[in-house]
Amino acid sequence: MPRRLVTLLAALAAFPRLALALELPVAARTLPNGLRVLVHEDHSAPVVSSYVFYHVGSRNEVRGATGISHLFEHMMFNGGKKFGRGVFDELIEGNGGSTNGYTTRDYTAYLNNIPREALPIVLDLESDRMANLAITKENLEQERGIVMEERRLRIDDEVWGVMDEALYLQAFVESAYRWNVIGFMSDIQHITLDQARAYFQTYYAPNNATLVLAGDVDPQDAFRLVERDFGAIPRRRPPLPVDATEPPQDGERRVVVRKNAELPAVMIGYHAPRALDADRAPLDVVERLLSGGESARLHQDLVRRHEVATAVDANNSWGIDPDLFWIYAQARPKRTAAALEERIDAVVEGLQAKRVPDDELAKAKTQLRAEYVEGLKTVSGKANKLGFFETVFGDYRALFGLEDAWRAVTADDVQRVARTYLVPTHRTVVVLEPVPAPGRPAASRAPRPGGVS
Amino acid sequence: MKTLALLLVLAGLAHGDDELRLPRVTRAIFDNGLHVVVAEYHELPLVEFQLIVGAGAAQDPPGKEGVSAVTANALRRGAGKLTAEELARAIESLGGRISTTPGTDGTIVTAEFLRDDFTAGLDLLRQVMLDPTFARDEVRRAREEQVAGIVAGLEDASALAEKCYGGFLYGSHPYGRPVEGRRATVSDLGRSDVTAYYDRWYRPNNTILVLVGDVSAPDAVARLRDAFGGWRARPDAIPLRPTPPEPVAARRLLLVDKPDATQAQIRFGNVAIKRSDPDYLPAQVANTILGGGFTSKLIEELRVKRSLTYAAWSMFAARFAGGDFRLGTFSKNPTTSETLELALAVEGDFRNRPPDPKALDKAKAYLRGQFPLRLETPDALAARLAEIEFYGLPVDELATFRRRVAAVTPADVERVARAHMPPPDRVAVVVVGQASQVRAPLEAKFGPIETIAPDACEELSAARR
Repeated sequence: MPRRLVTLLAALAAFPRLALALELPVAARTLPNGLRVLVHEDHSAPVVSSYVFYHVGSRNEVRGATGISHLFEHMMFNGGKKFGRGVFDELIEGNGGSTNGYTTRDYTAYLNNIPREALPIVLDLESDRMANLAITKENLEQERGIVMEERRLRIDDEVWGVMDEALYLQAFVESAYRWNVIGFMSDIQHITLDQARAYFQTYYAPNNATLVLAGDVDPQDAFRLVERDFGAIPRRRPPLPVDATEPPQDGERRVVVRKNAELPAVMIGYHAPRALDADRAPLDVVERLLSGGESARLHQDLVRRHEVATAVDANNSWGIDPDLFWIYAQARPKRTAAALEERIDAVVEGLQAKRVPDDELAKAKTQLRAEYVEGLKTVSGKANKLGFFETVFGDYRALFGLEDAWRAVTADDVQRVARTYLVPTHRTVVVLEPVPAPGRPAASRAPRPGGVS
Repeated sequence: MKTLALLLVLAGLAHGDDELRLPRVTRAIFDNGLHVVVAEYHELPLVEFQLIVGAGAAQDPPGKEGVSAVTANALRRGAGKLTAEELARAIESLGGRISTTPGTDGTIVTAEFLRDDFTAGLDLLRQVMLDPTFARDEVRRAREEQVAGIVAGLEDASALAEKCYGGFLYGSHPYGRPVEGRRATVSDLGRSDVTAYYDRWYRPNNTILVLVGDVSAPDAVARLRDAFGGWRARPDAIPLRPTPPEPVAARRLLLVDKPDATQAQIRFGNVAIKRSDPDYLPAQVANTILGGGFTSKLIEELRVKRSLTYAAWSMFAARFAGGDFRLGTFSKNPTTSETLELALAVEGDFRNRPPDPKALDKAKAYLRGQFPLRLETPDALAARLAEIEFYGLPVDELATFRRRVAAVTPADVERVARAHMPPPDRVAVVVVGQASQVRAPLEAKFGPIETIAPDACEELSAARR
């Protein structure tokens, strides 16, 4: 889960050609073995971006083996049958490409950005690891150690990571969204070779994957190559669906994190609907009203008017299952987490109490569209978006429906969803209480907020 | 990371091959000295601006460290007749963006607008550059936010390691300064410090203006002349660049204590080449073999073979008057000393022998193949063009890049590695980690190590080395 940066992206709204830019031409096909293939042609540069989305993420995991999806992502770079250990990265980079992967709660994606001539090699490599990944003790042990280092980097030694992990663990009880994508340290340590083999058999099947190509490629040529390399990989029994029904939360939950840090901070997570819910779009607008740049409400209130925060952010997560709408703020020196909370509450209550003015609503929608166009500036961005919508929304064309859904959001919708979802009884509050280093006074010491449990 | 502002040019692998369609570039120098570069780009209906004002933290007066950054951060907070909030609303209502990034040798201002808003966007940009208000209260806000940012930055072990490494290697040389200044110096800055800095350095004869967008070049040049032609030059606006920094002559270690860290951040390196050095390109190739991408020597030895780390990399941080070669990685407390030792050995071994021919071919293919992707967006192209102008690189830097990479020989790599990558017994080493866990093993191997608190790093650049 990459941390979202608070950047104000250029708004490209209200411009007909850009409205069209969201409507990418895509040739789609499903192979007899169930592999979904999407091809977007763009000849502006002699490069191709390939993404394979496997429809498995940490939501598919069980306690005792959390983090296996991400650990597996690492193992996927260590050879198959035709191509041995260490060959994947060598061949991609040796042909002028770059390669990487990332894992989320909902899916695991593998990407290559390559000169167009290297496409056959990439497809050969991708099909080899889909069909015949080398799941060996050596491969597993190597990546286990690396992933433990990654966890220390992103979670254990990272203030934001500790808060984020604490938030989800408290906010969710039954949903597998509750643990971090990277998994618990003890689980990473104990995942077995048998678990890894079973995981591969269950989830790494052509009928559980989407291959996206974008760039300097002819769709018919692409389909021929894909058919040749992936056509013979057998379909497998589809994985069991995840039942992630989260019982309703009926009271605020609070967590205090004490950690060596300089500044107090607070993170508030409200239960929100899943990506396919009709209320997602109005909550997207609420997100931009709260944190769409310097003119947005959280910045105006916490940073400018009351000068309590150094940084603010809000995020409406788009998940297959219901996720969180979260707000984050970091205090200025000598300010407290309680002061942040007070101002966040006032800002949220403002949205609930009064209809948002038309020009502010229009600005938020403009920013949402702009952010989307920004994500489509590169072929890699386009392939990533198409794969994301195919995987999380069930259809890549959902990408093209975003604008209409945002355009339809009214001031009444904004007020209604703010009143429905952003309520104290549905929320979890994480308070960071900085612990000064021994022998050093804290830059600012937060009094312990009342009512913590 | 603001402090790395001008390091973005590190990725400045130029570009071009016969098959790459590079837009035609128009260059002009206005009567007031402003260097203008325009390229037509019609894939998206946008105009992207990138300006580099040729002064940064290196021009901060003694005791006023951080003033260049406060000036940059206050620049957009009111201009012409518009207050800070009115200006922000005006920019955002166009769906545009103007942002500033303070750096060491220069200050970058970028802007993006829809092509149809070219006139209005250009007018806002002109006001920001030529007529910023610097209202007293806005300068106060910029200053206080900068101090808060300095404090917040102490929490990030990786950013802290970079900052401490800079101060430890360069000492009181201007390149050792944190761009954002020190808490004590920033807290004392007033409006007059900011206006004095602005008046001196924000001048057309010290500025490069690049425009890449969906425009016609002759028309764009005319409009830029209308907007910026009246900007008044000042003869003393062009800074004297710092003298080249002195390398460290022995291995020196610094430990920065993070009391609850489970993992230690490691950086080491020494003074190396400036950006305009003709060796920069072969040095990039050599560096790619050692510490670029996923198949480098460092990744192979530290990550793949031993699982000591999640990441390991090296780079040439090449600036206007000099720069450094640096290497970075991290590892859990019990293997911190082993990881540092191995990283030093891998680097030392690499610079001491001819490159493996296969690894060289791979590095060259990688740099050539990734090149078009580095120019894919209009803002990326604008940044590359500004870099050429700022460092005085050949105008065909982009067009010849792939050809020049192809021509790099094993002998070139061997020579530049030995010349510009330091021997491992002559490096400044910074470890940011839990002293009670990592100090004893490090001292057992490397001898006594000075240990400081995170907030003391900013003093490294204030003291004489």
